[in-house]
Amino acid sequence: MSDPKVPIPELGDLVVQTGGDTLYKCMQCGLCVASCPWRLVEGEISEEFNVRKVQHMAQLGVEGYESDNVLFACTTCGLCKVRCPRTSNVIDNQRILRAMIAEAGSVPPVYRGVIASLRDNGNPWQGEREERMNWTAEIDVPKFDEDTEYLLYVCCTSCYDQRCTEIAQALVSVLKKAGVSFGIIGEEESCCGESIRKIGAEDTFQTLAAKNIELFNDRGVKKIITTSPHCLFTLRHEYAELGAEYDVVHYTQFLATLIEEGKIKIDKDLGKKVIFHDPCYLGRHNEVYEAPRQVLDAMPGIERVEMTRFEVESICCGGGGGRIWTETDPGARFGDIRIRDAMAKEADVVATACPYCTIMLDASNITEGKEDLAIKDIVEILDQLI
Amino acid sequence: MAEKVGCFICTGCSIGDALDVDKLIEAANETSPAVVKTHPALCQDEGLAIINSEIESNALEAISIAACSGRDKTAAFSALPNVFVERASLREGVVWTHEAGDEDTQMLGEDVVRMSLGKLKFASLPQAQPVEVNNRVMVIGGGVSGMSAALGAASVGKKVLLVEKEATLGGFAQHLHKIYPKDLALEAYPEPDVAGLIDQVGAEDNITVYTGAEVGRIEGAPAQFDVTINQGAEKINSLIDSVVLAAGWQPYDATKLEHLGYGKSPDVVTNVDFEKLVKENDGQIKRPSDGKSVESVLFVQCAGSRDDDHLPYCSNVCCAASLKQASYVKEHNPEAAAYIVYKDIRATGHYEEVYKRVQQLGTVFIKGEIESIEPNGDKGAVIEATDTLMNEQVFIEADMVVLATGMVPTTLDTDVLNLTYRLGPELPEREYGFPNSHFVCFPYETQRTGIYAAGAVRMPMDLASCVDDGTGAATKAVQAIDLISEGKATLPRVGDFSIPDFALQRCTQCKRCTEECPFGALDEDEKGTPKPNPTRCRRCGVCMGACPERIVTFDNYNVQMLSQAVKSVFVPDEFEEKPRVLAFACENDAVAAMDMAAHNGLKLNPFVRIIPMRCLGSFNIVWVADALSNGIDGIMLMGCKFGDDYQCHFIKGSELANTRMGNVQDTLDRLMLESERLRLEQVSITDYDKLPKIFDDFLEKLDELGPNPYKE
Repeated sequence: MSDPKVPIPELGDLVVQTGGDTLYKCMQCGLCVASCPWRLVEGEISEEFNVRKVQHMAQLGVEGYESDNVLFACTTCGLCKVRCPRTSNVIDNQRILRAMIAEAGSVPPVYRGVIASLRDNGNPWQGEREERMNWTAEIDVPKFDEDTEYLLYVCCTSCYDQRCTEIAQALVSVLKKAGVSFGIIGEEESCCGESIRKIGAEDTFQTLAAKNIELFNDRGVKKIITTSPHCLFTLRHEYAELGAEYDVVHYTQFLATLIEEGKIKIDKDLGKKVIFHDPCYLGRHNEVYEAPRQVLDAMPGIERVEMTRFEVESICCGGGGGRIWTETDPGARFGDIRIRDAMAKEADVVATACPYCTIMLDASNITEGKEDLAIKDIVEILDQLI
Repeated sequence: MAEKVGCFICTGCSIGDALDVDKLIEAANETSPAVVKTHPALCQDEGLAIINSEIESNALEAISIAACSGRDKTAAFSALPNVFVERASLREGVVWTHEAGDEDTQMLGEDVVRMSLGKLKFASLPQAQPVEVNNRVMVIGGGVSGMSAALGAASVGKKVLLVEKEATLGGFAQHLHKIYPKDLALEAYPEPDVAGLIDQVGAEDNITVYTGAEVGRIEGAPAQFDVTINQGAEKINSLIDSVVLAAGWQPYDATKLEHLGYGKSPDVVTNVDFEKLVKENDGQIKRPSDGKSVESVLFVQCAGSRDDDHLPYCSNVCCAASLKQASYVKEHNPEAAAYIVYKDIRATGHYEEVYKRVQQLGTVFIKGEIESIEPNGDKGAVIEATDTLMNEQVFIEADMVVLATGMVPTTLDTDVLNLTYRLGPELPEREYGFPNSHFVCFPYETQRTGIYAAGAVRMPMDLASCVDDGTGAATKAVQAIDLISEGKATLPRVGDFSIPDFALQRCTQCKRCTEECPFGALDEDEKGTPKPNPTRCRRCGVCMGACPERIVTFDNYNVQMLSQAVKSVFVPDEFEEKPRVLAFACENDAVAAMDMAAHNGLKLNPFVRIIPMRCLGSFNIVWVADALSNGIDGIMLMGCKFGDDYQCHFIKGSELANTRMGNVQDTLDRLMLESERLRLEQVSITDYDKLPKIFDDFLEKLDELGPNPYKE
């Protein structure tokens, strides 16, 4: 054991005062640790990261939780938060602790480039701002103007990540076929700031949010369709706290409504066994469980099965909380668990509805999957059938 | 002795389908009862009318109702007038637990009828013996429990003598600064309203308060207690009926907690000291060593509790007390730090809300173990603890340390009752030194009839529970008076009119009965002859089981009745290979377990004959001789779990039976029989599913031993 730790209760109070206001609700029961997906994998982080311990140290105001493997392990999947018997907002508490570290200037190196990219180009993917709309090069995407009903807010990941651009393109295709009044603003859009806020870069988040809000308000945006559940969370909840209230929906919710209203006709037969992976931010963080399933179930010839753990019990892909930008060792990737589950259920396609999930599951599919297992976004599947 | 007996056989509930009823009637007629009748539903109006008319027309003194278990239809069959009723269990005991139409089932049914009629020969209906009562309750202890008890008893018209050893009423509660909120809407902790309670007591004409007084002596028995109250030099004598013992608690002796720093610094105090300190300074908390306004206080939970070297138990309220006291610290100074080092926080009921609030105040909770608490120079303390969750040592400097010590009953080292009982002046100490006789089934009851424990002397509890507890114990004290005045037994055989009769001319002064009576009902004269006190008696029959001369008899339960039941069993000769086992079974648990087995469709060995007992403690070894000489192959005693966590309604019945069974070894040796023919099983009501195996295993053992050589 190291030197005795000396509790400094004022430091705990500081966490509470700066936003971790449920920190003291924690009664140290440990349900969070038991719920944490890190328990399901092996490796250094699994051994070192114990979310209750972090909470407890924060309450005591003692040091020792600042290492990358501990403080930056949490993917903010939110399973501990929904299970917490004291309704402590473990995610917010983690975020505030990271923010305190960030303020002290010791953000892990891996995030420094991300923050710089966000500052300079409004996206975390090191892409030039001018390249934000490259994904629209070969398709015709309407521009948002005062007559447009919906802003289609495309996640930076769908703009810059090669694989995920296909999802954005498929969504545009479907929306056009359904005759929806929608448009994009374009390269002036910035990252919503969800993930960077989770790693504690509060200033960066505030700058991005202010920029987007000013832009949206300036263009008269009222209703927004997001491609990522992470953007959904931030635009819907965090921007609202900043005073900007938009009617924000995830595209799966929007598509479910279109199908219900008969505005999308699905005429082709899928003929595949599809398993849906609930993204944490669509499910636990926004409580959207039905819509993606309704969209899938509307497809002719689909055999839909569930993962062993689904809906509120779903297991994170590993990409939240800033971990989309970090390297996780093989064997410690949560996505592997989902791929193995999908294979055990003999699925042909793992469907999801989040660009992070697509990236993470694709990576795990390479190491854990078999050749004929496909990772698809729901809208990609839908676009093929109409 | 019943001369005219009747037998009523019910054929309903599939009894008539499973058994040959004509043969049951034949078996009944072997003893020539005045009446044998059958009916398809004895428990219904028509059946009851038949029984009533036969009782009247034949002047029956005792009847056997061979129908369902004696635990069922009690209301219907207990309404029969002026007749002793024996219930023979054909439904649960025979047809629901055995194969229908089987020869062995039929033989069992016939034996059940025979055994019940055998008992009737020696049974009679006990007559009520009313007792003149004084309608006076003495309450010992003028704290919240005692005052609540006094008000409860007074409210139903009983006179109350309230005895308090201190100069004023109020007890511990008057030393509290604040109390836990009862109303969750209250953000603040209310102050204890002890004065209000004292006023209520003062305004009650039925209550006479004796402060600065102690009980000098309690002589006699319920409804006839002759007590002396010593108030200073004055001695007040009174006749009272029942007693509520509300003598309260003492904090665990903190001088034994040197390892937690007690005694090393004036700034290490107990939770009781701390409460007084805060009250004295009206909420301001000053460090004892130098009067400094405290900036940090560390609370140590389970200080000497849940610790085998000190108090092994949890005192229930210390967590809530420290939570409350941590909020004193924050109220005194919101910037001050409060630390609570704990094993688990046990904040039951609405204390969970208190816990949450105190957490939100920023109290630091450390789950862990104290390593050391030492004075910090001459002021405050330094504390080292292991934080279990971090697996790290923590080091804290605090202005004060508060040890959350537990509660011990005042009676543990102080004589309070001063009874003039053969078995001693105070209540027997049960688990952890508390006087309660049976926590689960009968709260407030003690091992001395007519004396009921209330409040923290009974078990650790909070103030709100003390109010309820005082009222509850008063209810029992009042019920006791009312029952005894009608000649009825108190718990658990409430309403039983029988009183044990001692044929003292045959007594050999062996003192077994006076020593073994769990309730101290029997005193002794100088020669050692028992002096019964009927109103102390709970009618368990332990004395009857103890007596080697068999001089103890109840009208409705006696040695001869059960001997006759034993002798009534028809034992086939050894060539028929139908062994016979008698199971003497406690009616509170084992018999209930058998009924549960029946209700769950389990099948029991048909060679076993059940004899229900009031308590296995009433088992008299003469029945072993009776059984073996009748050719019975094995005897099973089925009683409650005994030991520290005993389940016996009468404290130690099965334990006594077990001891007696050991002594029976001699009897068996004399008869040249194997001692394995006798077996005791501890059966609780939930063990019903184990019964088939318990019986089968015993029968298997008897098969190894071969038949009883005394079989004809």
